[in-house]
Amino acid sequence: MNLQLLAFMILSLVTLGAAFKVITARFITHAALYLALSFVGVAGLFLLLNADFLAAVQLLVYVGAITTMLIFAVMLSQVEEIRQGAAEEGFWRRILSARFGVIPLAVAAALAGVILYLYRFANWKAVPVAPDPNTTRSIGQAMFTTYLIPFEVASLVLLVAMIGAIVLTMKKEDRSR
Amino acid sequence: MIPLFYVLVVSTLLFALGVYGALLSTNAIRILMSIEMILNAVNLNLVGFGRYITPSDPRGQIFAIFVMTVAAAEAAVGLAIILVIARRYGAAAIDRVRMLKG
Repeated sequence: MNLQLLAFMILSLVTLGAAFKVITARFITHAALYLALSFVGVAGLFLLLNADFLAAVQLLVYVGAITTMLIFAVMLSQVEEIRQGAAEEGFWRRILSARFGVIPLAVAAALAGVILYLYRFANWKAVPVAPDPNTTRSIGQAMFTTYLIPFEVASLVLLVAMIGAIVLTMKKEDRSR
Repeated sequence: MIPLFYVLVVSTLLFALGVYGALLSTNAIRILMSIEMILNAVNLNLVGFGRYITPSDPRGQIFAIFVMTVAAAEAAVGLAIILVIARRYGAAAIDRVRMLKG
């Protein structure tokens, strides 16, 4: 009981700290690695919330695919500025400037404040929590019956995205052939 | 058991960090990373609500899976666009790209 809360606290700290480092890290590759750490933390939170299948998908898709793609794109690109993201200027100098630092902070803080205020006084109807269901089985069953059409549309979206990414990044001399 | 409110607090903070990063940075790849963080916070919210409000129904988790699909597609296309922009302008800094036409 208490151990679960402790694990929750540690995982949330890892997630939020890594998310903060994504914003502040000097090099863009470091930011990508911190992003992977943040995703791992979220996967742990999913496990704590009894979503074991989703935790595995999170690890495979986010940590395995998206972060790898980001790192590959950064490291393979020839433009020096992408590789050294903070060649722009130092983060801490930027955050202290009135125009670029304060306005994003104010927007984000206001957003978080409003959302937390709404959550605090919302009245969720509490359902007595059932014993752990077999989530993978129930997800699979629902996915291929009730949500069959969204599932097919999602696979189409992935196909279109893949073709689009390939076409967009094609070099000019290849296009003339 | 963890109270639902704690999960919501964590997801809200992650969301706010994502918004902050997306507004703060000028590097397009970092903005893409911030957007991924925002989508992750949304997923956390969906799973948390699914766990506590409809524990016998996997609806929230299925929605989270669809969010992940769209996030993967968005990351692929967004990264491709950023690479094309960087190749053409020699920069990934979004405040230097002023034209829609190439």
